Amino acid sequence: MSELLHFAEHQLQEGALLFMAVVYTLRLTWLLRFKAGKERQAATGLGDTNPRKGFLYSWANVAMPWAMESTRKKLFIYVQFVIFHVGVVAAIGLSFVIPYGAHLLEIPWVVLALQIIIGAAGLVGIMRIVRRVGDVYMRAISSPDDFFSLFLLTSWFGFAFLAVPNSTANGEWILMTYFFMTAFFLMYVPFSKISHYLYYPFTRYYLGKTMGHRGVFPIRRIS
Amino acid sequence: MSKQTRSYNAQKVIERMGKKLNRQIVGSLTACVHCGMCTDSCHYVLANPGDPTYAPAYKADQIRKIFKRHYDWTGRVLPWWVKAKSVHSDEDLETLKDTVFGKCTNCRRCTVNCPMGVDYATFNRMARGLLVSVGIMPEGVAVVSKDQWEIGNQMGVLKEDYLETLDWMSEELQDELKDETAVIPVDKEDADVVYSINPREAKYDPRTISDAAKIFHIAGENWTMPSEGWDMTNFGLFSGDDELGGAVARKLFDKVTELRGKKLVISECGHGYRSTRCEGQNWAGMDVDFVMESSVNTMLRYVKEGRIKVDKSRNTIPVTFHDSCNNARSCGLTEEPRELLNLVCENFTEMYPNRAENYCCTGGGGAMSMSEYTPRRLKSGKVKAEQLAATGAKIVVTSCHNCVDGLQDVIRHYKLDMKVTQLVNLVADALVIPEPVEVVAPTPAEVVAAVTAEVEKAVPVEADAGPDAGGSLAGYTILVTDDEPDFVVFASAILEDNGAKVLQAHSGEEAMEIARRETPDLMTLDLGMPGTSGSEVFEAMRNDPDLKSLPIFIITGQPELRKLIYERDVRKPEGYLDKPINEQGLLTNIRKVLNVSRT
Ligand code: SF4
Ligand code: SF4
Repeated sequence: MSELLHFAEHQLQEGALLFMAVVYTLRLTWLLRFKAGKERQAATGLGDTNPRKGFLYSWANVAMPWAMESTRKKLFIYVQFVIFHVGVVAAIGLSFVIPYGAHLLEIPWVVLALQIIIGAAGLVGIMRIVRRVGDVYMRAISSPDDFFSLFLLTSWFGFAFLAVPNSTANGEWILMTYFFMTAFFLMYVPFSKISHYLYYPFTRYYLGKTMGHRGVFPIRRIS
Repeated sequence: MSKQTRSYNAQKVIERMGKKLNRQIVGSLTACVHCGMCTDSCHYVLANPGDPTYAPAYKADQIRKIFKRHYDWTGRVLPWWVKAKSVHSDEDLETLKDTVFGKCTNCRRCTVNCPMGVDYATFNRMARGLLVSVGIMPEGVAVVSKDQWEIGNQMGVLKEDYLETLDWMSEELQDELKDETAVIPVDKEDADVVYSINPREAKYDPRTISDAAKIFHIAGENWTMPSEGWDMTNFGLFSGDDELGGAVARKLFDKVTELRGKKLVISECGHGYRSTRCEGQNWAGMDVDFVMESSVNTMLRYVKEGRIKVDKSRNTIPVTFHDSCNNARSCGLTEEPRELLNLVCENFTEMYPNRAENYCCTGGGGAMSMSEYTPRRLKSGKVKAEQLAATGAKIVVTSCHNCVDGLQDVIRHYKLDMKVTQLVNLVADALVIPEPVEVVAPTPAEVVAAVTAEVEKAVPVEADAGPDAGGSLAGYTILVTDDEPDFVVFASAILEDNGAKVLQAHSGEEAMEIARRETPDLMTLDLGMPGTSGSEVFEAMRNDPDLKSLPIFIITGQPELRKLIYERDVRKPEGYLDKPINEQGLLTNIRKVLNVSRT
């Protein structure tokens, strides 16, 4: 392994992670500086729910495609969402497995499984690009950051897919590109829409708490 | 553009935004991933396919871009990268006004369909409030807000008119129940229930007051209505003006406290229920030591406890239920109305989607008062019209006055064969009046004699008026004005069959001429006539010394009615009915107006 690759796998990643953590902390501190609105009124609804139930339901929403009309009607998009995000977790996980658990990648089915997951996520990335560019509504709401983030992740999936076997037989450029992209990705995330997972727990918590207090969440549906 | 070249209003909007931001709003402003999942949940989008400016995320971005440019570092450092953009001129604010007032009813349907939990409706309301704070708002919003600030209710109903209406309803109730104790108590202290209403009831739909009074009376409730602060609606919810919201809520809460009321019952109104029950305390920053509930819960409890008896066989026409957005998506009031409906109606059909997933009536967010957006609003009603038609019901019931108006417009615009009503009306219709009604004094015979004498005094009965003389219109001359000959024939036949002398006019000019010559007791007026429109005729008559006292009853199939109500600076019409009319509705209303005009 070249020194540069070693640097990319270790110091670069650690630095990028540290940078991300610092920026995230600053970001969260900024968010928490804003006062949370409070509900003074007594609870409404049938009394079979409460703020706690409301936010738990709200958090669990991500795994309950039947809970919202939008995910029920666009189940294929929901499936894409799941594949894409599982792919992100796998591709990030890979950046730890290669330097610290490379032996796992000697197991053929692990390699295959990771490649299937990351490859599928890459395909979803391409589908998402097509949707974002081709759909008039998506185009209208997209910013350069939305496009760039999607291109970045999709191409990163491509290099992660190639990097899974952790082989330098054809040179180090694939692993090198994957690790440099990972580092860039980690440092870019706090400034982009990709950081949405940082806000997700907050927005869903507060919405769920409010809607639980008001007897709206969990939503009753008679179809 | 530098700060110096920014307009005063734009600068104020930016500065005030900082003061309005709380954690929930900031979360919603930062968390959107532009995934587009919310797009199809908006009724505006469904009615305007291919136009992305109606997409919730697009509309939200018009507010978000200002937030990003001034309050979020990503937008401060790289504005074009995250589509951050400031506002510089009053024209920019006008453009924003068009979005936040004219393209969204704050219905919160996109909120419950967003995987990220972005509550667009809440920060859309914030943006409305910011614009209102610099005087940029639709004219109707300005007028209604002014009325609520200055007169204390959003329809500008004067205290004496309100009290007079309560008096009138008391008399009706006494007549109907043949019971002198059946009155609407005003400002009674230590009542178990203080009943608050929507000013629309006092002004245009007093039957809902008398129906509620009948229910309270039969239930033997210790109740009252306040003489002040009786408006449970709150335009602050729609205008985004928290100060107005707080002031209106405080006025009502203070009155209930002053009367030492134990429970504040809020009549059927989605925005009233939400703003009084779920938001008022937060805006007013006060806690209250009485209970608050919707009249739906009150009526349901009466039925369940056996305090009132209902006979559902009296309501046989197929009905469906429309959930008000404010009730369902912001206050969780979805099951009680259905339970009550099933107790008072034989034939209830569910509408789909329903409850928190129901579509807006199109009139939410104060849209009914913004006449400049009426065509857009009616177009957006397509999805509601389809929902209604699919039920096959003949009556749509809703627990919201705003929805009554919104649905009526949709029904008329999409030519659906349906009527709108409220639960209170159905409960009153199904109510079994106990026999004999408890009478303290005078005796039933005295009451009957008094009522008969009263009727004889009010209605000069002709010798051959027959046994139904009590409800007869004999002795009254009514001028029917409409350009549709079929309608004139139909209405004239009903009125003549009931004893009235009928004069006919087919245009506004003709109506004024006949009115001057024949001095009728009442005139019905269509608004949508060719030539001089009904609303112009109406205003001209109100300003004419010879004609201004003539009671005018609007019968219209046109939405201009609202414009007429809001914009003309003259005495309001004595009554109105929406076309198509039926015999019973026409007669009941005409009788009510004539009684008023003769007293
Ligand atoms: S669903 Fe939520 S996150 Fe997605 S575009 Fe709409 S508001 Fe944004
Ligand atoms: S709040 Fe309602 S009207 Fe407004 S964008 Fe969302 S779905 Fe549309």
